[in-house]
Amino acid sequence: MSDQVLAALAHYGAPALFAIVAIAAVGIPLPVTLLLIVTGSLAAQRVMNVGVAIGVSSAGSVLGDQIGYAIGRWGGSALQSRFIRMLGSPERLRRIDDKAKAWGGAGVFFSRWLVTPLGPWINLASGAARYSWIRFTVWDVLGETLGCALYIALGMVFSDRVQAVGAILGDLSWALVAVIAAVLLGRMLFRRKSADAT
Amino acid sequence: MRKIHYQTIAVILAFCLSIGAAFFFGYRASTMARQMRRQNEPIRAWMSVPFVAHAHHADPAILFQAIHLPVDPHDRRPIREIARDEHVPPAELIRDLQKALDKAPPKQ
Repeated sequence: MSDQVLAALAHYGAPALFAIVAIAAVGIPLPVTLLLIVTGSLAAQRVMNVGVAIGVSSAGSVLGDQIGYAIGRWGGSALQSRFIRMLGSPERLRRIDDKAKAWGGAGVFFSRWLVTPLGPWINLASGAARYSWIRFTVWDVLGETLGCALYIALGMVFSDRVQAVGAILGDLSWALVAVIAAVLLGRMLFRRKSADAT
Repeated sequence: MRKIHYQTIAVILAFCLSIGAAFFFGYRASTMARQMRRQNEPIRAWMSVPFVAHAHHADPAILFQAIHLPVDPHDRRPIREIARDEHVPPAELIRDLQKALDKAPPKQ
């Protein structure tokens, strides 16, 4: 998969970049981090203009995120009930709804560039929890622009080591997701212990 | 004896799994970061010849000659596509490029 995606970028340039990041943002697993780093390398080799690369990749990602948000928000009652079943109860959805309103902006922003594996889920959850579309879009555009600029800049700096840098960033991103999961689960265990003690 | 809920056991297992995953990915990232400067970028079929030359600080002309193609720095076709056009397996082109890189002096 990785090979085809990167060959498409090498051959078709910006249109392929736009399409691939948009598809990935909807939730299809494609190697976007590596793709952006290779884009940076191509920019360093003057094959692609760096401004165009950042603009095109941000626009594609935002489009994909909007599709994910729309599926969550207007995906119909079947999707809503499946989401509720996944969470356990409508009460949980209401709690997530409250949390999305409180933490929504930060969640959207950081999942665009720091904990990227969570991005597609946050899009769906934001839509399902009816988080404000305008706020979602503002944080989405800011996060995606920062993320694309960051990864493309890294690709420019390490233009002769793109595969190694892509693999390191991918692993670091998953390590961060695992740390966040451990903190949340640890908090859950601590609360259970406190509840048992009383 | 205190009753332990299955749900609590599941949370404990998920907690241990998350910590294990954090260490695994963190360790793999740090190992790769240490090796990054020592190892050359492997040649892949998605790379173009000028891309391979850039990654290995080599002269693109040497690489084009190694796979019997006219020297064209604007030829951005991936190795996979060159292989299709030339009716040879991509692995063969990659081998020829690697041989040329092993012999070539670094680009000034």
